[in-house]
Amino acid sequence: MATPPLGPLYVGIDLGTTNSAAAVFDGERVSVVRNAQGATVTPSVVRIDKQGRTTVGTRARRFIEQDPANTAAEFKRLMGTDRAIDFPAAGAKKKPEELSAEVLKALRQDIQDQLGVAVERAVISVPALFELPQSAATSEAARLAGFARVELLQEPIASALAAGWRADDDGGGTWLVFDLGGGTFDASLLETRDGLLRVVGHDGDNFLGGRDFDWVITEHLASQLSVVPSRKNPEHAAALRALRLAAEDAKIELSRGDRAQVTLAQPLAIDGQEVEVDLELTRATVERLCTPLVDRALEVCVRLLKANGLGPGKLAKIVLVGGPTVMPIVRQRVAAKLEAPIAEGHDPMTLVAQGAALYAATASLDGRAAAAAPTTGRQVWLQYPAVSSDLTPHVVGKFIGAEPPSRIKLVRTDGGWTSPEATIAPDGTFLMSVTLLPRRACTFELVATNGNERIAVSPPAITIVQGLTIGDPPLSRTLGVALANGHVQTYLERGAPLPARRTFTHHTVETVARGSKESVLRIPIVQGEMSQAHLCRLVGTLDIGGDTVTETVPTGSAVEVTIELDRGGRLAARALVPAINQVFEHVAHLLVPDAAPEALDASIRELRRQLMDLRTDAFRHGLTQVIEKLDHLEARLSEAERDIDAAHGGDADAAQRARRALLDVDATMAEADLARKWPELEGEARSLAIAASSTVGLHGSDAERALLQDVLAAMDKARREKDAAELERQMRLAQRLSSAAYNRTAEAWEWYFESAASEVSRATDLPRAHKLVTEGKQAVDRGDTESLRKVVKALWNLLPEDSESRKRGFDSGVR
Amino acid sequence: MNQIAENPFFVLGIGVDASRIEIEREANKLLGMLELDFAGAKTYLTPLGPRPRTAESVRAAVAALRDPYQRLVAEVWARHAPASQVVAVEPEAPIDDATEGARRALGWRP
Repeated sequence: MATPPLGPLYVGIDLGTTNSAAAVFDGERVSVVRNAQGATVTPSVVRIDKQGRTTVGTRARRFIEQDPANTAAEFKRLMGTDRAIDFPAAGAKKKPEELSAEVLKALRQDIQDQLGVAVERAVISVPALFELPQSAATSEAARLAGFARVELLQEPIASALAAGWRADDDGGGTWLVFDLGGGTFDASLLETRDGLLRVVGHDGDNFLGGRDFDWVITEHLASQLSVVPSRKNPEHAAALRALRLAAEDAKIELSRGDRAQVTLAQPLAIDGQEVEVDLELTRATVERLCTPLVDRALEVCVRLLKANGLGPGKLAKIVLVGGPTVMPIVRQRVAAKLEAPIAEGHDPMTLVAQGAALYAATASLDGRAAAAAPTTGRQVWLQYPAVSSDLTPHVVGKFIGAEPPSRIKLVRTDGGWTSPEATIAPDGTFLMSVTLLPRRACTFELVATNGNERIAVSPPAITIVQGLTIGDPPLSRTLGVALANGHVQTYLERGAPLPARRTFTHHTVETVARGSKESVLRIPIVQGEMSQAHLCRLVGTLDIGGDTVTETVPTGSAVEVTIELDRGGRLAARALVPAINQVFEHVAHLLVPDAAPEALDASIRELRRQLMDLRTDAFRHGLTQVIEKLDHLEARLSEAERDIDAAHGGDADAAQRARRALLDVDATMAEADLARKWPELEGEARSLAIAASSTVGLHGSDAERALLQDVLAAMDKARREKDAAELERQMRLAQRLSSAAYNRTAEAWEWYFESAASEVSRATDLPRAHKLVTEGKQAVDRGDTESLRKVVKALWNLLPEDSESRKRGFDSGVR
Repeated sequence: MNQIAENPFFVLGIGVDASRIEIEREANKLLGMLELDFAGAKTYLTPLGPRPRTAESVRAAVAALRDPYQRLVAEVWARHAPASQVVAVEPEAPIDDATEGARRALGWRP
């Protein structure tokens, strides 16, 4: 066993769909951990034999063909679902997170074998667009693997950090990380300036990856056999699996040579016949088959560049990540289309793990649990960045206990720098700055004194690494609460730094009767970028049940909801009902919904029908942009159809892909529908611009007026570019500014009151509503705007939402 | 976000011309001070009066200032803010201690 390193040890793990890898960072150097076979990547494959023994990695992968029933691969795609995977020989059933835990255990053991340290903390990378249940399942896998603490990091950020860390020129420029993994494609636009890495923009395709490359090759090979196997037929699954493994090997071989022979030792059994496989595959054929897939990834990149005002040729460099990027066709087409050099010297297979290890240092997550070293001397509590892009960061400290030392200084152990002596305040606190050496780990000794007497201090020294840093991890998808009107109240916007916490006050739309089990008020928590709840994903619910409330909660009661996410994206939510002074905390963490093939069939039929209606309408009105958008959707639906076929054949992974694809198609159709209403929207925008200018001009502050100018300019740009979604977004901002200014006037509240009072017959509590109307009228007569505002808000809470809206809002019980 | 009371420049206590490095340095210092319970770090000054500073508000402020567009908006608001004007903070409606305790436990910021 190796001698454990003395300094810090930061661990990063790339838990991939096809392969996984681990890397460690000691403060100065990143090293990739090798497994027992001496390889830097470990296949994410688990086998359980009839004796119940578990095998992971290359040894398990060898059994995919021989013993597919007891060998599982690509289970990462099922993370967060309740789909258990069968191992019939051992009579075992394992959840996807349990299988991921086996891979993590193997990597943890590799680290221990190589470095002699049983690590307990690590950073694990997850795809940028992972949903909350998938992230929660990843954390659970780590826990099962024996990790005491993990943080999750988005893969594109990990690769960017690793690529940027080695960058010699800190001069910046914008660069692109092209990450084509086993199952997903991510494109991230980044810039480094002043040692700080910033993600400028991100786009991706959750349904494009190396496995798609393997499938097109597999289908090509299958089409050449005497009996053609079908993905729709569960009995052909074994033959297709064998063919796919051969296709994958041939693809790798063709990255170097021009020809590969695809020969299987055993004939395939298809429909009771023995089919020999001995085919030749050329690089030209593979390139012809894969070009449309590469171009699909390039379309995403061009879209990302355009969204950030960049054209081809404007990138400083491109960093390639993921196994499929080793293919020469990928490198050639990417460099040619984006007119930028490919950064050399990065290992596309382990870059993510290396970035995760670097990030562990940024997050001060030493792989070893804090050693229970005997404390000698006065204890001091210190706060400083473990990694700093700043050459002169601050160190903040506080001595524990009474009568702290009077002065302190920090001495860099290379002897090149000593801080001036700082005075320690009577409460034990002090603040000083240190000078670091560029791109080095610097250790500082703490020298505390009382008069001339040196006081021993614990800890006696600290280490700070100077290098590229990235701020807090950003939230990948907007998080909010679905409301009874079918809309979403955004809590945390995409990109918000984690950890994050936000509270909003809602009002109940129905009564929760004390003691009644049937009476449950639902607060649905959703993730997604759309303002309509049904186009977002439901990720959890907070229930206030009649059997848990201490008193009946009447309609219109205030509910203060707090949503909290930790650095790893784990969700916690709580609701306080002030009327009964009770807090509800139990969030039902939903699983990723099950994707039954029959339900998918029904969804795709409905989407096709809607697509046809939209297309007819778009042709009738000559809306070219909408037609283009819909053409793209047609292709997506055809792909989803193929996946649904495979789902009928028992492929659970394909079923999940299809489910997500259909949800995305639905959201894109909502956008296309918006574009279809363009003339109407444009008219509305014009009226809004006039109204907002007048309101903000009359009642707004200087800053509101300045901001409205920006918003109007953005509206104009969106109008010229015929970008309906952006125009709608800017219109919401203009509306908000206008409302803020208008709501300061007495006239506004009189108008709201008249409007609410006219609907009073629909109120859920008529006597209370009538009483409020009377109070409102009195407030109008008195000219008492403050009271009128309270009456209007109370009235709004008594007006019901229609049942259709509530259904779209996941039966939300709040507004 | 309240553009004046939660303006990132006010939260971090820095001028609108601060460089990126200065912003990061100040934020790291404040986060450390808040973690160690330094009394001076717990509030910040705004034209609307002093406001409570939390680790979340510091992190959100840094994230906002890293984004060029958000920084521009924050600069506009900070420049137009009535610097010398002292506005009395509206007294909050009285609430009982238990509710207040629960609110604080939930991270509610007045």
